[in-house]
Amino acid sequence: MRLLSSFLPSLLLSGACVVSAASSWSFDDATLTVQPKGAGVSAGAKEKLNPIASLPKAVSLGATDTLKLLLTTTEGKKAKRPHQAFLTLTDPTTGLEESFILSVKDSGKGKVDLAQKDLPIQFLTSSKPIQASIVIGAFGSSTPYKSKVFDLNVSRDENVPLAIPEKPVRYAAAKEIHHIFKEEPRSPPSIISLVFVAAVIGTLPVLLGVWATLGANASHLGKALGNAPISHALFYGSIIAMEGIFFLYYTSWNLFQTLPAAGVVGLVAFLSGSRALTEVQERRLAGLR
Amino acid sequence: MRWLFSLLSLALLGAVHAVSFTGSRLLVVLEDAKEQEKYGVFLGDLTARGFHLTVESPKESSLSLFKHGERAYDHVILLPTKSKGLGPALTAGNILEFMKKEGNVLLALSSEYATPTALQSLLLELDIHIPSDKGALVVDHFNYDSTSAEEKHDVLLLPYPKSLKPDVKNYFAGEGVIAVPRAVGQTLGNDSPLIAPVLRAPSTAYSYNPKDEADIVEDPFAVGGQLNLVSTVQALNSARLTVVGSSEMLQNAWFSEKATLAGKAVKTANRDFVEKVSSWTFKETGVLKVGKLVHYLDEGVSKKPNASSAVPENNPKIYRVKNNVAFTVEISEYSNTHLTPFVPATGDSVQLEFSMLSPFHRLNLKPLSQTANSTIFGASFKTPDQHGIFNFHIKYNRPFLTNVEEKRQVTVRHFAHDEWPRSWQISGAWVWIGGIWVTVAGWLAFVALWLYSAPAEKIVKKTQ
Repeated sequence: MRLLSSFLPSLLLSGACVVSAASSWSFDDATLTVQPKGAGVSAGAKEKLNPIASLPKAVSLGATDTLKLLLTTTEGKKAKRPHQAFLTLTDPTTGLEESFILSVKDSGKGKVDLAQKDLPIQFLTSSKPIQASIVIGAFGSSTPYKSKVFDLNVSRDENVPLAIPEKPVRYAAAKEIHHIFKEEPRSPPSIISLVFVAAVIGTLPVLLGVWATLGANASHLGKALGNAPISHALFYGSIIAMEGIFFLYYTSWNLFQTLPAAGVVGLVAFLSGSRALTEVQERRLAGLR
Repeated sequence: MRWLFSLLSLALLGAVHAVSFTGSRLLVVLEDAKEQEKYGVFLGDLTARGFHLTVESPKESSLSLFKHGERAYDHVILLPTKSKGLGPALTAGNILEFMKKEGNVLLALSSEYATPTALQSLLLELDIHIPSDKGALVVDHFNYDSTSAEEKHDVLLLPYPKSLKPDVKNYFAGEGVIAVPRAVGQTLGNDSPLIAPVLRAPSTAYSYNPKDEADIVEDPFAVGGQLNLVSTVQALNSARLTVVGSSEMLQNAWFSEKATLAGKAVKTANRDFVEKVSSWTFKETGVLKVGKLVHYLDEGVSKKPNASSAVPENNPKIYRVKNNVAFTVEISEYSNTHLTPFVPATGDSVQLEFSMLSPFHRLNLKPLSQTANSTIFGASFKTPDQHGIFNFHIKYNRPFLTNVEEKRQVTVRHFAHDEWPRSWQISGAWVWIGGIWVTVAGWLAFVALWLYSAPAEKIVKKTQ
C-alpha cells in the first residue's frame, strides 16, 4: 500500500508509467519545524509531511525563524541514502527555482535548515506563496521522486529595509516617450474681447461728442480750401495716406516697400504743409481762430 | 535589370544551397584526424550549406586565425582536444581578437577531456563559468536516456528550448528530443545583456564529478535551470560565440539515435538542433540588414513614402519646430539563403528615437508594408518645440539578432518671423488693434478740427 501510494506522485510527475522500475524513491518520517529565534528545540509548530499530498495550509517563515526539515529517504521500503536529495523552492509567478541540498547520512536520515537569509531576494518579495518540493533521485533504475510537499509563506519584517539589487540590463523594447509640448498660448473667450473692443470704439463718438459740445466745428473748411485749395487738399490727403501706408505695412508690405512710400508722402506733407499752415496762420492773424 | 539580377541570384542559389551572410571560410580545429570521422555528418552538412572547411590540428605550426592582420577565416569551430594547451595560435587573446574582427566561434566542450586553459580564460572573460575540475558533467535522474545511460543517467533527453522571453524570437525551436550526452554545464553571469542561454538543463538536473568518492551530491557546481547546456554570446559588433556543453551532441552517433525517455522510445533530433545552433552562430539566421531610411516633411497631403531601393535617400537636412515629420525604414532579415521581410516577435517592436542628448520622442515603428525581402517600418510625429541638432536614431539590440544602429542628423530650427499667426488671428489682441485704429481715427479728426474749426467763443461774445 505504501509502495503504491508513494508511486502515485512520481507517476503523475513523469507522466509515463515506469512498470519496469524495480523500486522507487520516497521519504518517510518527515517533520517540518519552524523555530523562532532563541526558542528551545522543541518549540515551534511541528508538521508531518506526507510524500503523496502537500500540506493543506501554507507554512509561514518569519524574519528570525528557522525552518528545519528532517526526513528519512527510502528506496522501496528500506531507508537508503540517495545521490540527490534537494529541497527545491519555486516562485510560481516567475518560475525562479532554488535548490537546497539535504545532508543525508548513510542511514537515510536527512536534514536541511532554512532561514530568510538563505533565500534569494525574489522569494522574500514574492506576493504568492512559494512552492516547496522534495527531489530524491539516484543512479540506477529506481524511479526518482519529486513532489510538492508544502507552500512557504515568507512573512518579512516590514521595518527592516530590503536591499533590492538593481535589475540587470536586458535588451528589450523600452517604454515609449512622447514629447510633452509647452502649452499653446491661449486667448480669453472672444466675446469678452468683443465687449472691450466695443468699449474702445465707443470712446471715439464720446470724444467727438465732447468736442462738439465745446463748440468744435469744421466751418472754415470752405474758407481754407478757397484760400489754398491745392496745399490743403494735399496736406490733409498726405496725412490720410500716411495712415494708409501704416495699414499696408501692417497687413502686407515689408519695410522696403514702406519706407520709400512714407518718404514720398512725408515730402508731400512737408511741402504742402508749410503752405497750408501759412494759410492757417493768416487766419489767426486775421482773428478768425 | 531587376529580373536579370534575380535570375542571376537564382542561378547562384542553385549552385550553393545556403551560405552565411558574412562569409564561408570555416576553420575546424580538431586535434586527432581520426576524430573527424565522428563529426562526419555535421561537417558534411556544413559543406553542403556552402562553407569551405579547413580542418587543422591546434599543433599545426602554420595555423593562424589571421593573415596580414585580417581574419583568415570567417568562422571557427573548436572541438575538444586531449592536450591542455591549445598552442600559440589559439590563445584567449587571439580568439577575442578574432571576435573583435567580427569572426564567429562555435566552441564544443567535453567532460571527457580537461578544457584547455586558453578556453577557460576565454570563457571567464565572457562571464561564462564552467566547473573547474575535469570530468564534471550534468546528470538528471528524471530526463535521461535509459537505453544508453541506464545506470549513469548522464545522457539527458530534452525537448527543444522555448523562447527565452515572450518578446524574443526563438531560432532554436523544433519538434522532437535532443540528446545531450555527458555535458559540461555552464552558468552565466547576470550583468551582461550580451549573454543568452539557448538550452537550459531541466530543474532536477545537477552538475557533479563522477570522480568524487562521496555517494551523495553535497556541493554541486550548479543545479536546475541555472545550468546551461548550450549558451551564446553576441558581442556589440555582432560577433557570435556559442558554447556547446557536450561535443558528443555534434557527433554522428547522436544525430538520429534511438533512445528511451521514461519508458517511451524516441528518436533524437540532434542533427536538426545542431544545424539550428550552427547556422545561428555562423550568421545564417538572425541577421538584420537596414535598407533605405527616409524621413520627410508630412504636409498633410498623403505623400507616399518612396519605397523603391533605386532612388537614393534624399532626406531634408532641416526641419522647423512643431513640423509633422514622417519616417520610414526598411529592415530585412537574412534567413539561411536570402533576405526576408523582418517581423519582430510579438510584444517587441523596432523603436525610433528623436533625440538631442536624450530622446524627446521614442516611438514604436509600425510595419507599413512589405517588399519581397524587407519590411518597411514607419512612424510619424511632430518635432518637439525645442530647436537644436537632433538625430533620428534607431538602436535595435535584441537577443539572438545582430545589432542595428542607424543615425541621421537634422537641424530643427525655430519659427521664422513670418511664420507666427498674424495679430488679428488672435482674439485677445483685438482690443489693442481696435485701440490703435480708434487712435488713428481720432488723430485724423483732431487734425481736421485744428485746421478747419471756426472759433466758437467769439461768436458767443459777439452776440453778447
